[in-house]
Amino acid sequence: MSTNSRSNARAAWFFVLPAMIVMFVACLYPVISAIRLGFYDWSMGTPWAQAKWTGWTTFEIVFSDPAIWRSLWTTLKFAAVSVSAEMFLGIALALALEGNLRGMAFFRTLFILPMMVAPIAVGLTWRYLFDAQFGLVNALLGVFNVAAKGWLADETLAFAAIIVSDIWQWTPFVFIMVIAGLAGVDANVLEAARIDGARWWTLTTRVKLPMIAHVLAITLVMRLIDAFRVLEVIYVLTFGGPGDSTEVLSMYIYKTAFIGQKLGAASAISVLLLAVVMLLTWLALRMSNPLSDGENRR
Amino acid sequence: MKRRELLKAGGLAGILAAAQFPLIKGVLAQDRYAKYRGQTVVMSIPSHPHYDAMTKILPDFTAETGIKVELDRIAMNRMKDKQILEMAKPQGDYDLACYIVMWKTEYAKKDLIVPLEPFFSNPALADPNYDMGDIVKGYLEVQGLVGGPKTYLPGPGAKLYGLPYGSETSVLAYRKDIFEKHGFKAPQTYDDLRRILAPLKEKSGIGALSSRGQAGHQCVHAWLLHLNPLGGEVFDANWKPVFNSQAGIDALKILKEISDTGPAGIPGYGQGEMINAFVQGQAAMYLDSILIMGLVNDPSKSKVVGQVGYALHPKGVRYASQSGGLGLAIPKNARNQDAAFLLLQWLTSKAADIKVTRAGGNASRMSTLNDPDILRQFPDFEILKEQLKYVEPDWRPIIAEWDEINIQALGVGISEALTGKRSIEDGLNSVVPKVTDIMKRGGYLKA
Repeated sequence: MSTNSRSNARAAWFFVLPAMIVMFVACLYPVISAIRLGFYDWSMGTPWAQAKWTGWTTFEIVFSDPAIWRSLWTTLKFAAVSVSAEMFLGIALALALEGNLRGMAFFRTLFILPMMVAPIAVGLTWRYLFDAQFGLVNALLGVFNVAAKGWLADETLAFAAIIVSDIWQWTPFVFIMVIAGLAGVDANVLEAARIDGARWWTLTTRVKLPMIAHVLAITLVMRLIDAFRVLEVIYVLTFGGPGDSTEVLSMYIYKTAFIGQKLGAASAISVLLLAVVMLLTWLALRMSNPLSDGENRR
Repeated sequence: MKRRELLKAGGLAGILAAAQFPLIKGVLAQDRYAKYRGQTVVMSIPSHPHYDAMTKILPDFTAETGIKVELDRIAMNRMKDKQILEMAKPQGDYDLACYIVMWKTEYAKKDLIVPLEPFFSNPALADPNYDMGDIVKGYLEVQGLVGGPKTYLPGPGAKLYGLPYGSETSVLAYRKDIFEKHGFKAPQTYDDLRRILAPLKEKSGIGALSSRGQAGHQCVHAWLLHLNPLGGEVFDANWKPVFNSQAGIDALKILKEISDTGPAGIPGYGQGEMINAFVQGQAAMYLDSILIMGLVNDPSKSKVVGQVGYALHPKGVRYASQSGGLGLAIPKNARNQDAAFLLLQWLTSKAADIKVTRAGGNASRMSTLNDPDILRQFPDFEILKEQLKYVEPDWRPIIAEWDEINIQALGVGISEALTGKRSIEDGLNSVVPKVTDIMKRGGYLKA
């Protein structure tokens, strides 16, 4: 390596190092600490000196508990249904509102409002909306002569309720990402496609969406990660019930840590959640490869 | 025997007996407070009607003592997480912490809160006119004592770690207008209650009895309300789970009947929804905390002002009403422990108890409940006085592991029985292994 190259490499490290330190402190250190904690039996509120080394035992106990796999399955169902619906609705809304029609700016602002509301407030709002006695949802059903339902008192309906609230809150995120992606599509390409006779459907499915595939992939990954970490809204809406029908993995981790006071076990389950999210992220990124440059994509 | 020796002998007996002895004299109230004037006591409190009432009387404390009070008010269900994190630090920000009764044993076991005996024995701090024996006995036992043979009740080794402040028991509230119109009488026994549930719903057109039912703590609370009067227990004398006994099954059966004949959606109801259904006129009865007494007569919250009557919690094989609610304790890592004690002592004194009751809070002292002016203002307290005779301090086993048993085991099985996913028997039987595991881990049962 020439002196010049070595000097360049040093400069590169010099510029990258601060970001690496920040990443290590803010991201990697907590993850490593969580993994380490998984090897201990430690109750919250007691001194660390009282923590007992358990080795792999905590992981063995935790992963042989059927409740965890039930929670994971609930989480997978929740993420699959809610993220699919959010992607579909977000893309549809973005396509409908992408033009510069009169009043569109107002609607765009309106649509992203739910995303800005604190999750606890979202949970409380939907809890009142789904109230069997006084809720707006049952009142609206009543207009169509549909009998009132105990939304949060039935396992299937409660699961539907948490999905509806998630879709309401996070479809705007997909919308804003897609509309930003669409704004970056080269107008000349669209014009060329139109001259070639492409109609709306062909233009959308063969030109626009493929051109923003990397945006869609990133959006999908971010939504999946968020869906796997969802906690606050479910905490307020159902607290994981009825029974354990809406107990997603984050809720289970919360209960293990703060109710069962088993921080080691909660950390061990967090490692499982981390692994699942990393796997999904890797798969989604591989499918679209958005981080590679244009050369590699070709 | 000196008062200190009595207190050290452990248990409520000692504390109550000590209250009969004259305290060390010569300490004027003003001297007590002089040293702490200008200090600020930070309190952790929940959003709760009793603590709303407390905030109205706190200016009197500051005016009288010169000690300032800062409040950290958070939602009740998030309070424990924050308190534990705060109290586990070498020096915390809280000087006085409100706790739900279920947390007392865990906090004491983890050495997060301090016994109150050294403060009450300190002549520089203790008020000679405090009169501990005047505090409702059931409240004091269940809210304050940790230790003893059962770890949460009186007996040798029990120490006072907190004082009741926002404590409660259960009463039956019913709509007098509806009962009169359809010829019903307030149920006195569980047989009466069972008999009127369906016809009351049918004739009134609204839910018969409002109840909690949400998965976790809420549905377990609702079930325990019936388990105790029906003669059931969660554990036997050797800590073996016995909640799936016939009494446990009967209690869950009546809860299911209440859910089926009550306002729609009970298996999703928390305390707020349960209260709301009654005060908004969607249920003919309410069987839960005395908190309802203040709320039904508040026109801004209630559509049933003046239409509610009260009766004792119905009798099963015995009378046994709820014992629960809130208390106050001093964290071990508090910066201003002495000033915090002075505030605690002031808040739970005879005079302040009357003030907070007038402001809409829960009375904790018999002198308040016997005060003629208070009884004129709150005539419903007559039934409360009667109900307090039947407060069951062993209403639920408040061992350190109770939260986990309550929420992660019983709270799932009972909820599944309420929604019909499991049968009544299966709902209870299905969680016996999990509860047994928790008890083995806690060292109550042999592994």
